[in-house]
Amino acid sequence: MLKIEDLHVAVDGAEILKGLTLEVPAGEVHAIMGPNGSGKSTLSHTIAGRDAYEVLSGGVTLDGDNLLALDPNERAAKGLFLSFQHPIEIPGVQTMNFIRTAMNAQRKARSEEEISAADFLKSIRAKAKLVGLNDAKIKRPFNVGFSGGEKKRMEMLQLVMFEPRFAIMDETDSGLDIDALKMVGDVVNELRDPSRGFLVITHYQRLLDYIKPDAVHVLADGRIVKSGGPELAAELERSGYDQFIEAA
Amino acid sequence: MSSTPLINPSPLETGLRAAFAARSQTSEAQAAAFERFQKHGFPNRRVEGWKWSDFNAALRRLQPANDRAGAVAIAPSDFAGLNPIEIRIVDGRIIVPGNDAVEGIEYGIIDPVGASPHMDDHAIAALNVAMTRKALGIRVLQGVELVRPVLIRHINSGSTPVFSQTLARAEEESRLTIIESFEGAGAYYSTLFHLGVREGAQVERYLLQNAGAEMITHAFCGVMMSRSAKFKQTSLSTGGALCRHETHMLYPSDGSESRIASASLLSDERHSDFTTIVGHQGEECTTRQLHKGVVRDRGRNIFQGKFLVERTAQKTDAKMTANALLLSDMAEANHKPELEIYADDVECAHGSTSGALDDDALFYLRQRGLDEHCARALLIEAFVGEVIDGIPDDGVRNIFGARVNQWLEAV
Repeated sequence: MLKIEDLHVAVDGAEILKGLTLEVPAGEVHAIMGPNGSGKSTLSHTIAGRDAYEVLSGGVTLDGDNLLALDPNERAAKGLFLSFQHPIEIPGVQTMNFIRTAMNAQRKARSEEEISAADFLKSIRAKAKLVGLNDAKIKRPFNVGFSGGEKKRMEMLQLVMFEPRFAIMDETDSGLDIDALKMVGDVVNELRDPSRGFLVITHYQRLLDYIKPDAVHVLADGRIVKSGGPELAAELERSGYDQFIEAA
Repeated sequence: MSSTPLINPSPLETGLRAAFAARSQTSEAQAAAFERFQKHGFPNRRVEGWKWSDFNAALRRLQPANDRAGAVAIAPSDFAGLNPIEIRIVDGRIIVPGNDAVEGIEYGIIDPVGASPHMDDHAIAALNVAMTRKALGIRVLQGVELVRPVLIRHINSGSTPVFSQTLARAEEESRLTIIESFEGAGAYYSTLFHLGVREGAQVERYLLQNAGAEMITHAFCGVMMSRSAKFKQTSLSTGGALCRHETHMLYPSDGSESRIASASLLSDERHSDFTTIVGHQGEECTTRQLHKGVVRDRGRNIFQGKFLVERTAQKTDAKMTANALLLSDMAEANHKPELEIYADDVECAHGSTSGALDDDALFYLRQRGLDEHCARALLIEAFVGEVIDGIPDDGVRNIFGARVNQWLEAV
């Protein structure tokens, strides 16, 4: 499904990813853990196509499609979703209008029919309830005046609305209380599917108590330095990242 | 007749002098006004308040001519759906609807104004007073809540300078919605609008500047607010060669309230200037002012806002915000927010920002599937949204919103 091969990426001339290789097969959830500054967010933004991240060499494909050749919106239309660590606010744009506009833009790019207003309304109301956002919140300007936790719920609402083929969760757990963490776990578990993949980026093991990963990778100094099963997350929680920083 | 010579007059100024001299019926007030104009001429960039909008330089490029189009083809107004009382000022000629008498309002052609408390030493306003032959008069009677809006369409053609005046009054406890649209193409258009909002009356005024790229417009508006009067003004301008909308408010009594909102959407080399002065004299008056400018290419956005709070104006509550969004390296925004406060028990604030579109926001929207054009348009629409969303009238809000979208699609 998602294949990253020997990826080298620079930001402002400084190389951050230094030969990262990773494969997430369809139907699996992989976690990436790593200390601050190891390149976790650089990886998520590069996969999603942010301009400021310069790919020096290497490749990223999703089901064989070369993502690096596509604009960010084309990647989204291919089914790539990024749950942002720091979601933005858009004053003046109503949440429901925004999500519907975005859904229809993706559908149009895939030559699919637009979602009808009635179907959309029914769907977003049910799904907002699922992620713990009430009707009033989805009628307000997008994320305006929302707490950090509510913004993460809004990311989860979009995840369930878009039903992407592949989702990257960039530190979705930061700033979340236990109830919200559980909600995130429920949403991801509900969406787990033999044809869908997830990459969960996190500092801590706690989110992985709710989302059981198929594999855990340690990212340090721009490279995957160790890969293992779920037990690796627990080990990291006990012994920290120091050993990997030194090794890198 | 006037005696002060203009120093280094432009062809337009010379032409105006000849035109004024040739006029058979001029009042003393008009002669005095022309004298005031001649003393200064059209303001240039060395005059404070005009440094970013140099009318003298812009008008020097104009040659007076007499090529006014004979019959101007007039399309239905964007506002036609609001069932307005439609008055047209076509190349300065006022056309009021004949068989359209509406209860509670009087309108017709009246004598022009002689002077006004808002315009001491204002050369362009003085010239308008001198040159305008007839004015449009509008009066909403006491206690009448006029349901239909009054639409004034300023339609220009040809390259002859055109002058017009509107004198309007909303009597005690009345309500009036007045829409002014600036259309067509032309050379120099000067309009003077005087509005009296009497005790307890409420007026909504909307301005849509939608004229051609070559247009040089000066629209002067003076508003006199009585006790507990309410005034809401929303303006949307796509600019012109040089386009300045001035609003001069005066609160001599207590408890007046205003909301003054404006937005400019500027492309190519279009220029828009919103200049306002709000004179607070009575107690417990409230002013909210918001300006948003979106500028691309070599557009120029000017905002000058001044709150004058006199010693008598205790408990004034006045806030001013001006934000500009610059979409190209050559785009320009010049903002001058000013507070001049002599009272000690007031709450006054102003803020001004300018910047580019937020890269984080653009990337977020594109990750959600919007292409670059759509993502930028959505953010610009959201930026201007605060001005548009604040329009109390649903019909006008939709028309202004549609105009914003039309601009976004074209650029």
